[in-house]
Amino acid sequence: MLKTEAYRALLESDFGVQEFSDKTPPCIEASEHHRLAATLKERGYTLYGFVAATHMPAVKGAADALELAGHYEVATGLRCPTAGSHIAIWRVRLGLDEELRTLVDLFVGADWQEREQYDLVGVRFADHPDLRRLMLPEDWEGHPLHRDYPIDTPHPPWR
Amino acid sequence: MNAIHPIVLHGLIYGGAIATVLLTLTAWGIWFERKFAGRMQSRLGPTLVGWVGLLQPLADAAKLLQKEDLIPDQADRTLYLASPPLTVFFTLATVAVIPVSVDVAVANLPIGVLWILALGGLMVFPVWTAGWASANKYALLGGMRAVAQGISYEIPMVLSALVPVIFAGSMDVNEIVTWQAEHHWLVLGPGLFAFVIFFVSSLAEANRIPFDIPEAESELVAGVTTEYSGMRFGLFYMAEYLHTLVASAVASALFLGGWNGLFGLADGIHWMLAKTLALFFMITWVRWSLVRFRSDQLMRLCWIYLVPMSLALVMVSALWVYYEPMLGGH
Amino acid sequence: MTLASAARLGVDPHRDLTDYDPEADLMVLNMGPQHPSTHGVFRVKLYLDGETIVRAVPYVGYLHRGVEKLLEELTFVQATPIVDKNDYVSPMTNEQAINMAFEALLEVEVPRRARYMRTLFAEMSRISSHLLWLATFGVDMGGALGGGTTLFLHCFREREYILDLFELVTGARFHYNTHTIGGNRHDIPAGWAKRVHQALDLIASRVDEYLDLSTKNAIFVARTRGVGTLPAKLALELGITGPILRASGVDHDLRRDAPFHAYDEIDVKVQTEQAGDCLARAHVRIRELSESIRLSKLLVDGLPEGPICGGRPIKNPTQFKAKDGQAYVALETPRGELGTYVIGGGGNKGASPYRLKIRPPSLHALAAMPYLLVGGTISDAVVILGSLDPIMGEADR
Repeated sequence: MLKTEAYRALLESDFGVQEFSDKTPPCIEASEHHRLAATLKERGYTLYGFVAATHMPAVKGAADALELAGHYEVATGLRCPTAGSHIAIWRVRLGLDEELRTLVDLFVGADWQEREQYDLVGVRFADHPDLRRLMLPEDWEGHPLHRDYPIDTPHPPWR
Repeated sequence: MNAIHPIVLHGLIYGGAIATVLLTLTAWGIWFERKFAGRMQSRLGPTLVGWVGLLQPLADAAKLLQKEDLIPDQADRTLYLASPPLTVFFTLATVAVIPVSVDVAVANLPIGVLWILALGGLMVFPVWTAGWASANKYALLGGMRAVAQGISYEIPMVLSALVPVIFAGSMDVNEIVTWQAEHHWLVLGPGLFAFVIFFVSSLAEANRIPFDIPEAESELVAGVTTEYSGMRFGLFYMAEYLHTLVASAVASALFLGGWNGLFGLADGIHWMLAKTLALFFMITWVRWSLVRFRSDQLMRLCWIYLVPMSLALVMVSALWVYYEPMLGGH
Repeated sequence: MTLASAARLGVDPHRDLTDYDPEADLMVLNMGPQHPSTHGVFRVKLYLDGETIVRAVPYVGYLHRGVEKLLEELTFVQATPIVDKNDYVSPMTNEQAINMAFEALLEVEVPRRARYMRTLFAEMSRISSHLLWLATFGVDMGGALGGGTTLFLHCFREREYILDLFELVTGARFHYNTHTIGGNRHDIPAGWAKRVHQALDLIASRVDEYLDLSTKNAIFVARTRGVGTLPAKLALELGITGPILRASGVDHDLRRDAPFHAYDEIDVKVQTEQAGDCLARAHVRIRELSESIRLSKLLVDGLPEGPICGGRPIKNPTQFKAKDGQAYVALETPRGELGTYVIGGGGNKGASPYRLKIRPPSLHALAAMPYLLVGGTISDAVVILGSLDPIMGEADR
């Protein structure tokens, strides 16, 4: 199990993360997402934590390409179930039409959690065996947790 | 009156009387069960209707009578409609041979025990057809479980009911009671194990907890009775209590000495009533304390434990009766 | 799941069938959203071969109320009463979770007295939650008209003592709205500690009765032993925490391993079992109940004096603002790890969270259903679901 410093050292050495801040989790490349999860799992982070996707809408005049076009930010957390119980959290940023590689082959629990994030936020996961809606009915249109989905969107009454 | 055969007349009068008493006792049994359950659970039970809620069964009946009469569209109408009254019918018919007092019974059949056991076997049918006819998977599952349970537990019931027959040397229930009056109650002697097995098997036949898998509410919504409402459901409900009372009455007659009194006190119907109600109380007590068995555990209990035990008991009783006079019998 | 992960875990890879194969001659039974024992609105489609379950497909989302979206519209201060209704059986821990997350984001200190009070309330909430679990477990097994109901009513009787105690502090029996950013809103009245001791002594004396009606009852044991065995590896991968994980042999408890609030000052004895079946989970929860009674007594005796809130008193719903920052805070509820991931900088000029994700332990537990139900009967399905103790309000949000 790694402590925060060791975790940051790992990210810096193997995954090329330069900036760390106390206020936000470290951000890695979308392509490294699965490799980081696999590495951590080998180091003892076997308890699946969470996955939280956020839709960041387009910001006019932003410097960063992703921020200009609008992007998703997916935060994932894995916990080590030994004493001290550190949770390793990282963020990934991907474009609105990109897909993030699924963690289902490492953690079975990622199945439902990623389905829920797809359902509510709209981020798609590549290689997911069964990516369909979890919370909302299958014929729902839109992803409610999009920032531009109005909170009082009426859905046609069904049946 | 001259046109009616005396046996038929006797049957009608005594049968009517006993059936009335039994149905009243069923109503009383419903009240008692609910009060007792309440007390076991730190609450009061019915209190509003009548003094200490004694009119509650009437209120229940009135409520059930005024409900909408639903028949599912795809249900098999004949079986659906016929099943509830048939359950009550078979249960009540069993009482015909039970002597409620000295030599007083609706019909003193020489094959009384056979009559009871045969009707007990027939009681499975209406439950089964109710499950089938309801066109509902939950009811179907409940019906199938009821059949499996019913026919399995008949075997220990029949075998343990043979023990009094062997001891008394007759299938006539009145003769069995008379034998017990002359010798000793069967439960106080060699018939104790047979009584326990008979008691447990009757619980299973009556679908009472811990054997109430066919109507397991937490799993099958209402099991066999899922699609029934109103008085049809009321008939099933009543049949369950009736069956419990009848099973208690049969067990009292066969093992507890029926109308025979203790300590040389006068024989009579009051003893029969007391014993039946005592057994009913025990069945209620068991119901509100235990959780239910799973269906395969129930089957295992029957086939692996009760059937061999009851077979052994039959053999032991036969040997006992045969050798007892030679051993300087008591 | 993929074939490789199925092989790795030794489970059937076809555990989720979305199309029905008519050749298979299976009966499809829907334990629908309305059912006497699905613990809230939960649906599981069972493919039965006779009475044996061949496949089970769970469906959640019947109680989805859009809490996360709603909390993006409301401010930090307004979030507490909404979140109360997630895990409606132990509301204190919900409030604690969300306020801890906001405090981490807004960098607000919680004074020592408030930390102790929050921990005490959480432990008492754990007692009441486990009592309710035992009650509903009994009903699942014995039916609403039978021995299970006796256990149910006895447990509820005890739970009323705890709810009365909470009412004395907060004014509400159930949804308290007593936690706030920086501490608590309601202080403990005089004489409350004595009443806590009385109530807890009473409950402790009744634990033996529960054991008689449950884990020492032969039929109960027969229904739960060997039923629904969850291997530890599968539990870890699914993200299951709490009593279920501990019953599968993994010694993990956030109260001891990653202590928060007053847990770093008291010693929590973590209860584990090795078997991983329903009986093990029952044992763990009942022992946790006794342990929580002990902890509550310690906490109520050792309550320090001082202020109960470190943030400013609430005058205005938008008074706490966060421009940016992200925080994840997890605590141990009676169901497992309840985590809150919050991103600051939302609407109302930063007075609302930008995104709030609640990591519910019940949803992870429900994901185990397809694995646990296969091979059992319907009776087992009911018992397994009861032993997982899911609360749909939290699973669906």
